[in-house]
Amino acid sequence: MGDLRTEEFVVNMGPVHPSTHGVCRLMLTMNGEQIVDAEPVIGYLHRAIEKICENRTYPQCIPMMDRFEYVTAMSTNELFCLATERLAEVEVPERAEYIRVIMLELNRIASHLIFYGTTAMDCGALTPFLWGLRERELIIDLFEETCGQRLTYNYFRIGGVANDLPIDFVPKCRSALDVIEGKMSDYTGILNNNPIWLARLKGIGTAEADHALAWGVTGPVLRACGVAHDLRKDDPYSIYDRFDFEVPIAQEGDCYARYLVRLEEIRQSIKIVRQALDGLPEGETRTKIKANFKPPAGEIYTRIENSRGEMGIYIQSNGDKKPLRVKLRGGSYNQLQFLPEIVRGKGYLIADLVAIFATFDVILPEVDR
Amino acid sequence: MGVLKSFVELIRGLGIAGKHLGRHAITIQYPEEKWTMPEKSRGIVVLLSDKETGELNCTACQLCMRACPTAAIDIDAPRGEDKKRYLARFEVDHMLCCFCGLCVEACNFCAIEMSTEYEFSTLNKSDLIWDKDKLQEMGRNVDYVDTRKKKEPKTPPEADAATKPAEAKPDVAPASTGDVNPETKAAEAKDATSTDTPSGDTGKEEDK
Amino acid sequence: MERLELKHIFSWLHDLLVSTGLGEPWLSVVTYLMLGAMMFGALSVIALFLVWWERKISAHVQQRFGPMRNGWHGWYQTIMDAIKLLQKEDVRVTNRDKFVFFWAPVICFVAAFLAYIVIPFGDGLIVADFNIGILYIMAVTTFTIISLLMAGWGSNNKYALLGGMRSAAQMVSYEIPMVASILVVIVYSGSLSMVDIVESQSGMIFNWFIFKLPFGPIAFITYIIAATAEANRVPFDLPEAEHELVAGFNIEYSGMKFAMFFLAEFVNMFTVSAIAVTLFFGGWNGWLLPSWLWFLGKTLLVVLLLMLFRWSYPRLRVDQLMEFAWKFLVPLTFANLLVGAAFKYLGWYW
Repeated sequence: MGDLRTEEFVVNMGPVHPSTHGVCRLMLTMNGEQIVDAEPVIGYLHRAIEKICENRTYPQCIPMMDRFEYVTAMSTNELFCLATERLAEVEVPERAEYIRVIMLELNRIASHLIFYGTTAMDCGALTPFLWGLRERELIIDLFEETCGQRLTYNYFRIGGVANDLPIDFVPKCRSALDVIEGKMSDYTGILNNNPIWLARLKGIGTAEADHALAWGVTGPVLRACGVAHDLRKDDPYSIYDRFDFEVPIAQEGDCYARYLVRLEEIRQSIKIVRQALDGLPEGETRTKIKANFKPPAGEIYTRIENSRGEMGIYIQSNGDKKPLRVKLRGGSYNQLQFLPEIVRGKGYLIADLVAIFATFDVILPEVDR
Repeated sequence: MGVLKSFVELIRGLGIAGKHLGRHAITIQYPEEKWTMPEKSRGIVVLLSDKETGELNCTACQLCMRACPTAAIDIDAPRGEDKKRYLARFEVDHMLCCFCGLCVEACNFCAIEMSTEYEFSTLNKSDLIWDKDKLQEMGRNVDYVDTRKKKEPKTPPEADAATKPAEAKPDVAPASTGDVNPETKAAEAKDATSTDTPSGDTGKEEDK
Repeated sequence: MERLELKHIFSWLHDLLVSTGLGEPWLSVVTYLMLGAMMFGALSVIALFLVWWERKISAHVQQRFGPMRNGWHGWYQTIMDAIKLLQKEDVRVTNRDKFVFFWAPVICFVAAFLAYIVIPFGDGLIVADFNIGILYIMAVTTFTIISLLMAGWGSNNKYALLGGMRSAAQMVSYEIPMVASILVVIVYSGSLSMVDIVESQSGMIFNWFIFKLPFGPIAFITYIIAATAEANRVPFDLPEAEHELVAGFNIEYSGMKFAMFFLAEFVNMFTVSAIAVTLFFGGWNGWLLPSWLWFLGKTLLVVLLLMLFRWSYPRLRVDQLMEFAWKFLVPLTFANLLVGAAFKYLGWYW
């Protein structure tokens, strides 16, 4: 069979594919089942959010931000409000800061629960997906009671939050946290030591710390490579310096490490929310800003730690009520560009690519904006 | 013994899944059972009417139109003969609406509100553009706390002194009864008592 | 109560047709055809029931309701689904291999039903008691591989082709441990006939093969693993592998052709469970209740096990799957076979 001719072929994984988490197209050059090269083709979800923001007043930009990264819309709200507050030097009341931290961390938990579910689903286990969403529902219900929406919250305002917490928020939130903490044993029990799960994730998609840093990878993916980089610790925004929490890291840099880091982050976030609930002060929740809000001319870059890495915004203001230029940075974008680097030439199979893509936790609206 | 340990773990996973078999479902059967939406839930945009007169609270100031990030609200407010603006047309395009609630926040007159209603799908796209009458009709059964500074058009400005609207209402009501007939008077007395109870807790008046 | 036997049904049908004045040879042909139709109908109902059951079990594991609308807890939901699929347009790819594309679902469907000729549903409830029964089953279920490969090739789709190739590699590999685990049973029963195998386990519950320590349980476990792979179910559902190959070999099939693949999958699942019950759980043997009820009950329990596998485990990767078959299962089953044979030779069994 010496003259048997083989050739590489191209498989278009996406834009519509069950495991690309949105509309991402991966052009895979395949040698049989093995992946020779992968090239992400992005832009299927491009909505020109940055440009839209340039035609909106500052308060009107916040609902647009909800659509930038809709799995953790609270953090996008925080990002924009924080940048504008720093630009216009608006003070945020103490209670509002605490509420913001509670919301951000609850949203991080919700996002990681989705990660847990979708990763399990992409590896073939369908039940954990529903379990993850089941507990996420508790958090979403809390959000709905607080701000009225389940996904696109539009809750933070420049100088505070839109409204105070509902009366029974604190006990409800505590019981939701208890439930999630209790269910963590189910999550870990069904997957963590499952030999199939280990075989699918351990040693797959290993990323080196230097390599990841060179590509601007942030968030849990970087932390799984052993770099304890977390903006909540390194460049504390809001009031994160008041809370006692750890930045979970792992050394292996493979899919399993990323999975473990995210699960541990859920526990740390629960810890932060509990502290914030304990320290929640009374008082105002919003600094009054002028109805015709115009920050002074200038520019600012602000970054926060989102559940997918560093999320940044650059706002240039010319003193008008609309921003002159808005530029967004999403962690997913860098991670998606990093994906071919990990996959190329390692002889991974499609199943591995799916696992790597899932543990990168790429969300396409953040990539395409 | 790695094999045995793996085997035990597999059985354990099976047990965790099997343990859920007998549990109660957490979902609901949607059209038959419905979730009670939280009070703050942002559903469709509606226009509120005055509890006493039944007229729209809207003063045609167009603040909501300016606040709307997607230009879903379209208001036509020409000046009338008395040089005051009146509401000629008020349309909400629910196809454009992104349910952000900024219009509600912008309104100072308790005129626009997001009801908890979320079922408004139609077979025809043009049915999603709601005019003034439709919005008012949908807003009739929406309970709200009147936080307006009472500025009735035909009453002297003494009513403005009222600061806490829930308490102020009974005091203001007689002042504005100069030209309303006895039936509405009775209705408004009922209204005043019925709205007092739900407004006791943190209503929506916390929005500043 | 008189024992329900298939030959009674047969003779009843025969008499019925004689009364219509039909003569030989058409009499026998029509009788057999009607019997076949009855079997087909019964199995289709079982398959539809299994689809419903799977949906209910998955729903309860995930704390959902599952189908609830049609009838009590949606019991005829799958029947409605089948009717819907019958009505759907048969979408065909332009550049398909016409012959292969058309026959793949047919072969898959037929192969799934062929095994039921020798499966004893109860005492006497067997179509034909071949003396090579289990060998026959092994032979005809292999047709499924061909059909999946045909579907993969005929669709002219890269995902389908990958799925078809995977299925061929997977099912050929798992055939070996499956046969080796079955051989242990055959060493003890001394016959390939399904009826003989069941009768050799009659009497006490400890005569069931699974209680023949130490090799019985191991044979069952290896069998059930291989059978899961044969039935293309999670964790071995690589030919379909929704999150990698979207739908694998049946990606281009729609309407009734898809339904044929789908029903065949559930019939296959019932087949492997029925074989497991026949070989390891004493088949129809039981007390008080009629034998066919025992058989059905036991089979459904094994099916439940397979379903729980699906809803708790992730999917293996294709190379790990092959590795697991050749480096772990094959040596294990052969070692088990040796141990079983040694125990038999030494007479250390009951």
